Amino acid sequence: MSLRKSTGLRLERKKDASLLNWNLKRPLSPAKVRVVIPSGSLPCVAEHESVQTGMKIAASQTTDGVAVHASMPGVIGKIERVSDASGGSSLTVEIRRQGEPRPAPANFTETRKGWEQIPAAELPEIFRQAGLVTTDAAMEPVHAKLRRHSGVRTIVVNVCEPEPYITCEQILTQSHPVEILRGAELLKKAACAARIVFAVEECNSEVIELLKSKIYFLKWDYAEVRSVPARYPQGLESLLLEEWFGEKKDEAVIFPASTAFAVYEAVAHQKPFYERVVTVGGECVVEPRSLWLPLGISFQDAIQTCKGVMREPRKVILGGPMAGTAQSDLAVPVTAGTAAILALPKEIAKEEVPEPCLRCKRCVDTCPVAVSPAMITLAAEQKEYEIAQAWGASRCIECGNCAYVCPSKRPMLALIHAAKSFREAVFHG
Amino acid sequence: MVEVAASLVTTLPPHIFGSDSVARRGWRQIVAALPVFVAAPLAGKAELLHVLLLSLVSAVAFEFLAAKIFFKKEKLRTGETVLIAVLFALLAPRACPAELIVLGNFFAIVAGREFFGGSGSYLFHPVLLARVFLQVSFPSAMTEPLVLDATGAWPIFGALILSGVIHLKQNQGYREVPFIFIAIAVVCAVAAGQYEGTVAFWNGVLLIAAFFFSDPVATPLTRRGTRWFAAGAAILSALLAPGGFSASAAAFSILLMNLLIPWLDLWIRPAGCRSREPKRGHSS
Repeated sequence: MSLRKSTGLRLERKKDASLLNWNLKRPLSPAKVRVVIPSGSLPCVAEHESVQTGMKIAASQTTDGVAVHASMPGVIGKIERVSDASGGSSLTVEIRRQGEPRPAPANFTETRKGWEQIPAAELPEIFRQAGLVTTDAAMEPVHAKLRRHSGVRTIVVNVCEPEPYITCEQILTQSHPVEILRGAELLKKAACAARIVFAVEECNSEVIELLKSKIYFLKWDYAEVRSVPARYPQGLESLLLEEWFGEKKDEAVIFPASTAFAVYEAVAHQKPFYERVVTVGGECVVEPRSLWLPLGISFQDAIQTCKGVMREPRKVILGGPMAGTAQSDLAVPVTAGTAAILALPKEIAKEEVPEPCLRCKRCVDTCPVAVSPAMITLAAEQKEYEIAQAWGASRCIECGNCAYVCPSKRPMLALIHAAKSFREAVFHG
Repeated sequence: MVEVAASLVTTLPPHIFGSDSVARRGWRQIVAALPVFVAAPLAGKAELLHVLLLSLVSAVAFEFLAAKIFFKKEKLRTGETVLIAVLFALLAPRACPAELIVLGNFFAIVAGREFFGGSGSYLFHPVLLARVFLQVSFPSAMTEPLVLDATGAWPIFGALILSGVIHLKQNQGYREVPFIFIAIAVVCAVAAGQYEGTVAFWNGVLLIAAFFFSDPVATPLTRRGTRWFAAGAAILSALLAPGGFSASAAAFSILLMNLLIPWLDLWIRPAGCRSREPKRGHSS
């Protein structure tokens, strides 16, 4: 992949509103949650069975599968496939609350004795039993990702959030820097890596200083903090590895900071992975903030935990406004990959009328992977998908920069997506 | 408390957009040309305003006519038609007959733009195409010097500089491209022993550099390609007008470079699409 160093857009960050409430609270338990069971795992509970927080409700069936745990106490309801936030459907286990709503416990169980001396070979199984998956869109089991990247030399812990509004990684890192450092060390140990690099956006100077000071006092000469330009989409996994490691990018593996935190909690405190920090924000939300949400809580309930909306949103988005997915059904559950739920008004989430391409070159100049979005989309409009491929359609990371800057407001991503889908259809049947 | 409605809109990302728009770009280019029209009466070139008025009226009329002919909705709001009228007025020769101004606007809008598919689809700069068409069809009327390049028109020179600065501030094109054209045009003139440093020379060079490389439709799709485009246009201008810089020769040269755009786009690609994809049917 060709990469333009330090390219990208300086977007309005819009993070201040959620940063005002930067203490991470846990809301009262909702009336029900629907915990998504990933492929490779099967439910091990029956309907009407009582469960407690952290109790295993699904067991892995394959080596790459993970256990799944109850995210709140209650009674098992329906076990069925429901539509998920990605537009498909997933197997879910419903847990209904019994009695009055109660806050989730902050401390789960006792500290595991001698957790720092656990051999590296035993860590992947602990990750697997704790149900650890990466807290990004891929939601890949941590032990499987480590196995896929066996032999890496560097663990990169990503604190970057290039999308506007999203603050969950930043707030978690500010609140629990030592835990994230310890989690990164455990990941390094499990991967038999030699170095840890923390990637932080240059504008988050507090986080940079905080991590540097902790690393200094821990006397970790194998860890360092590197700043990333605060430009979208700098900080995305593929771009970071390409820019920092170039040809040697296969020698590094990247994990979000919240995954490192979950790793620490799982190993040191024996806490299964059943909750994550999510940013609930956007102009429509009464009290935008980042907070702990149990996996499986619906988007509707998540917004209600932030006192609901002040006005009717035009769009509710999973993820950021540049690459997130707009939702039509707010009953979809929060998963490990849900970093943000945004409710945006019509003034922000505008629907623009597309006009013909002016060939203004702004899309070409802002493309972080240096392809030609203008030529790809012009070809895709004529259904000339092979020409679109020749102009780099398959290399597009769908960051949305081209559509953002386009003065003609053309549906760039839809056209690029069509070209990529054609390629997949041709090459993979 | 407000309820979240069931009728949420679902579209593909991104869900936010930048403030740039087609209309904004068009009208900003027109604003950049204003200093020239303000300075024209001060330089005793009030006829430029008459040309502009006639050009505007005819361009708007032909916009509506083209909308009827090609079954489209008129798009006056984008400023594109007004910009064509403004640029045509800037390139008009002294004592240009009114009917040629009307004919030029007709050719620019109907033949130069709409015949090729409308906004964003034309291959040649419509104004330059119309100018060259008139030059070839009515050589005696069109070979007069431009209204703007009369010797001693210092206010026009200042206004062209100001227009160029406004263009640079608006950041709508690549900033180095006009300078590349100017530098090569001057070097070629010096090399040919034709550089006199007159206001007429500079007015012509500035006029072309400030206004005729900012049309994105008729320039290549990459920064490097656009640089080569400007360099090629400057060199061709010098070859076509060995006696010194001529706006007409520059118009010809830009049109010739317009012909090369598909090849420039093919040869000078962004780094990410230089290697060929595997052919259909091969494993990826």
